[in-house]
Amino acid sequence: MPRKLLFKSILLTTLLTLAAVTCLGQSTTGTVSMSATVSKFVEINSGGAVTLTGNSGGGVTTDGVVNTPLAVAINLGELGPSNTNSFVTASVPLKIRSNAAYVLSMTATVTSSGTSSSRIGAADIGFGLGTVSRTGVGVNTGSDTNATSGDPTLAANGSVNGTTGRYEFTAVRSNLSAFSSATTTLSGPIIMNAVPRSNANGLTVPALFAVKPQFFENGTSTISVTFTVTAP
Amino acid sequence: MRLRHCTISLLIVLICLAYARTTSAQALDISSGGQPTITGAVGGSVTGSVNVQDDLVVTINFGEVSPLNTNSIVKVTVPFALRSNQPYQVSVSMSGLTNANGQAVQASDVGFGIQNPRLLGGAGKICTQSTHIVHSPFNNDPAFTATVGTNGRVSYQSSLANLSGSTIILSGPELSKNNSIKRQQSDGWIFDAIFTLTPQFFAAGVSSATLTFSISAGPNVPC
Repeated sequence: MPRKLLFKSILLTTLLTLAAVTCLGQSTTGTVSMSATVSKFVEINSGGAVTLTGNSGGGVTTDGVVNTPLAVAINLGELGPSNTNSFVTASVPLKIRSNAAYVLSMTATVTSSGTSSSRIGAADIGFGLGTVSRTGVGVNTGSDTNATSGDPTLAANGSVNGTTGRYEFTAVRSNLSAFSSATTTLSGPIIMNAVPRSNANGLTVPALFAVKPQFFENGTSTISVTFTVTAP
Repeated sequence: MRLRHCTISLLIVLICLAYARTTSAQALDISSGGQPTITGAVGGSVTGSVNVQDDLVVTINFGEVSPLNTNSIVKVTVPFALRSNQPYQVSVSMSGLTNANGQAVQASDVGFGIQNPRLLGGAGKICTQSTHIVHSPFNNDPAFTATVGTNGRVSYQSSLANLSGSTIILSGPELSKNNSIKRQQSDGWIFDAIFTLTPQFFAAGVSSATLTFSISAGPNVPC
């Protein structure tokens, strides 16, 4: 073998050996890099059982079960003058939880079998959110904004129209006609502190519905309400 | 001729330097201890080398840790291998994870413990006069020591909040039987570094941290 070639071979072998040794070289340090993501999270669930009062007939068809998805069905019963109670009311407890500021909106539809203006319409269904409660371990204190007028049966929220004689829920967002499209009912800051989902506490608020029994056109009516909570 | 002599001399010097480097480095070494694993993650992952001859370079993505992750805990196990022909100690330092919002992920929300010491092959050394000591409070599996505090937040026996500067987590007698000039497949001990994060109503955001594991000469304990 020519000496030049031999020399080059030795050089190459040495470099390869050096590279190998370097690759297998030891180290006194190592690194562990870590990251985690927290996305905005909001949820709405039932806050408990529904309370129905002033009804004649009817009843709670599907009751609310605390901390389970909200899916309540209520039969308000007779809403004509044969029901002599002042109001038929339903209180539906809601529970909301979030790790960010939230907005609770509502959409409502009302359909009736009647054809005249005396049929039950959206404006005849009083609505409001009751007292907001932030209590329990892990619940953040904060001030919420109730965009409704509260209990629709309050005297300040409705009265008999002096001209038509029909009872009307007159306060701001006090009846379902104000919710033909998604409309904010409640909003506020972050609800939950850093606690696991297994913590069952949260913000609770009753959704209050009321109907004044009147000489409505006879027939049946269906009221459908959808609550949506978002973290804008 | 002169050039050839110079080249040969240079090569000899390089070889000597390489030998010296590896010979001195072999005394204390930290490397990958095998494939890291992750459980309970949503959109998370962990990457690292399965080869115990590779450097310890691990990247953990815990993924989603808001309540969108309905698993009870995200757990990551990172095996790391140690080699030494002298008593050693391992320290860990941390950078990052400085969220000003107390409801965001904090160092105390990441459980951290050391478990499961085991021989790395037949050339790992078993000492009878000293044991490998996981320093307090890190001798636990944080997945099993997680508790809910009075404020409702999950805490652990030990977490990244227990790291202050360069914190010694582990020490013991020599780990390797041989004096190999290179990192081998079976000449030390493996330990598991366990990290946990419980999904909670943390404030939204992305958090990150980097831990540096360092091995150095430790207290002079007999083997």
